[in-house]
Amino acid sequence: MEQYYFTTKKMCVGYDDRPLIKNVEITLSKGEILSLIGPNGAGKSTMLKSIAGQLQLLGGTVYLGENVLSEMKGKELAKKMSVVFTQKARAEMKTCRDVVATGRYPYTGWFGVLSDEDQKVVEEVMALTHIMDISGQDYNKISDGQKQRVMLARAICQEPEIIILDEPTSYLDIRYKLEFLSILKEMQVQKNLTVIMSLHELELAKIISDKILCLKGEYIEKYGTPEEVFETEFIRKLYDIDDEILLKDAKFLTYVRQISSSD
Amino acid sequence: MKENRQHRYWTAFILLLAGVLVFFILNICIGSVQMTIPDIVQALTGHERTETNIRIIWDIRLPRTIAVVMLGGSLALTGYLLQTFFHNPIAGPFVLGISSGAKMAVALVMIFLIGRTSRVTSADMIAAAFMGAMLSMGFVLVLSRRIGNMSMLVVSGVMIGYICSAVTELTITFADDADIINLHNWSRGSFSGMTWENVKIITCVVTVTVLHIFLMSKPLSAYQLGDAYAANAGVNLRLLRICIVIYSSMLSACIVAFAGPVSFVGVAVPHLVKKLLGSVEPLYMIPACFLGGSVFCLFCDLLSRTMLAPTELSISTVTAIFGAPVVLWVIGRKNTDKQH
Repeated sequence: MEQYYFTTKKMCVGYDDRPLIKNVEITLSKGEILSLIGPNGAGKSTMLKSIAGQLQLLGGTVYLGENVLSEMKGKELAKKMSVVFTQKARAEMKTCRDVVATGRYPYTGWFGVLSDEDQKVVEEVMALTHIMDISGQDYNKISDGQKQRVMLARAICQEPEIIILDEPTSYLDIRYKLEFLSILKEMQVQKNLTVIMSLHELELAKIISDKILCLKGEYIEKYGTPEEVFETEFIRKLYDIDDEILLKDAKFLTYVRQISSSD
Repeated sequence: MKENRQHRYWTAFILLLAGVLVFFILNICIGSVQMTIPDIVQALTGHERTETNIRIIWDIRLPRTIAVVMLGGSLALTGYLLQTFFHNPIAGPFVLGISSGAKMAVALVMIFLIGRTSRVTSADMIAAAFMGAMLSMGFVLVLSRRIGNMSMLVVSGVMIGYICSAVTELTITFADDADIINLHNWSRGSFSGMTWENVKIITCVVTVTVLHIFLMSKPLSAYQLGDAYAANAGVNLRLLRICIVIYSSMLSACIVAFAGPVSFVGVAVPHLVKKLLGSVEPLYMIPACFLGGSVFCLFCDLLSRTMLAPTELSISTVTAIFGAPVVLWVIGRKNTDKQH
C-alpha cells in the first residue's frame, strides 16, 4: 500500500456548526499538486482554511504524514505547512523584504531576530520568486500582482513541506500566472513540495495539477486526475453553464470545450 | 539599507533617552522654588543642608518625577498595545473607555471604604482600577465582535467612557465627605501628591508588566500581519490576546489608580514614535514607546505645574493640547493615503 503524505478522513467543513461540505476524503502523496475547482461560493476557501487548521473541523480528521493535524503544536505545524490566503497581510511601514522575512518566524529565537542563515534563505527565496528588484519597496505601495508574489515568497521562506494557496493567480496577468505556477512546479521538483490550492482558471488547473477536487454542493462532486475530471459535459454541469448562456454566441461553446476537454 | 535602519534606531533611542534625562532634571529644578543643579546635588548629598530644599526635592519633586516617567511610559505603551490589538490607529486606553472604567471602580471603592475604614491603600486602588479596566475592556471586546467597523468601535468606547464618567460624577456629588476633595482632584487627572510608597508600587507593577510585554514582542510582530498569518506562523492567538488584554488593563489600572485618567498620551505618542523610528517592529517600538511616553508626560507635567503657577492645571488639559492635534493628523493622513 502506498504511503500518503496528506489524508483527510470523513472531513466535514463549515462555519458555526453548519456543515458546508461533508465526508471529504483526500489522499495525496508527497510532492503532488492538488487543485480545488468549483463555482463561486462552493466552499473552496472554507475548505482550505479548515485544512490549514484555522477553522475548526466539524467532523473527521486531517492527517499530515503520521500526525493528526489538529493535535500538532503551532510551531511544529508552522515548519511543515504555510499558507497564502486571498486576504493580504497587513504590513505597515514594511518593505517587501521584511514581509518575506516574516516567514522565518518559526525558526528564529525568542526575540525573532534573523540569523545570517535566515537572511540567506530570505535572499534565496526572493531570487527564486523574482522579487529582488522590489526588495526595498514599501509593501503597501506595490501592485496586487507583486503582493501576491511577495506572499508566495513569504510562504516558501517558511520552508514548508506542504503549502496551501487560496486563488493564488487571481490578480496576476498571464505571464505572472505562468511564472507563479512554474515556481510551484520548480519547488515540487526540487523540494518535493506538496501543494493544495484553489484555482479559477480551469486551463491552468488542468496542466499543473496531479489531482483535481471538484466542489459543489454538500458532497465532493468528483476527485481524481485531470484526465478523469475534465470532460466538457461534467464541467458544464459543475459550473451550471446552461444552454441559454451558450446560445448567446457560438464562440462560447468552443471556448468551454477548449478549457474543459482533457487533452 | 540594513545599516541605515540600525543607524536610525540608534539615533531615535539616543534622542529619547536624552529627552528623558533633560526633562527629568528640568522637572526637578523648576517649580515655585527655582533650583540649580548644584543646589540639587547639595540637597541630595547633604552638604550645607537647607531643610526646605531637601524636603522639596526629596519629598515632592523626586517621587513625582519618577512617577511621571513610569506612568507616562505605561500610558504610551498601553496605547500601542491597544492599537496593535484592534488594528486601529486611534485606539487608546482613554478613547476606548478603559481609563474611565478604572476611574469609576476606584471612585466607588474609595467612597465605600472611606465610610468604613480610615485608610485606602495603594493596593486597594490598583485592584479596584484593574477590575474597572477589565470591565470596560470586556464591554469593548464584546462590542468589537459585533461591530466590524473600526470607527464605530471607537465611538462605542467613547460612549462607555461617558457612562463611567457620569457614574463617577454622581458618586462624587453625593458623597460629601471632606476626603472627596482629593477624589475630585484625582478624578480630573494629576500627578501631584506622589509619595515614595506610591512610587515603589508603581515601579514594581510597571517594571514587571513592561518586561512581560517586551518578551511578547515576537508574537506581537506576527500578530501585526493579521490573524491568519499569525496563526500560520505558529502563534497561539488566544493566549496572546488574553495577555494583551491583561497587561494593558494592568498598566491602565496603575495609571488611573495614581494619576487619574490622562487623555491622548496613549493615542498620540505611539504615532510620533513610529515616525521617529520609521518602523512598527515591536522589538523596538515597545521600549521606544515607553521612553516617548515618559518624555511627553514629563514635558506636559512641567507645563501643567508652571504655566499658571501657583495654580496647577489638570494633566489632561495639557496632554490634550499637544496630543489631540496628533490624533487629527493621523486621521487626516489615513484618508489621504486612501485617495492615492
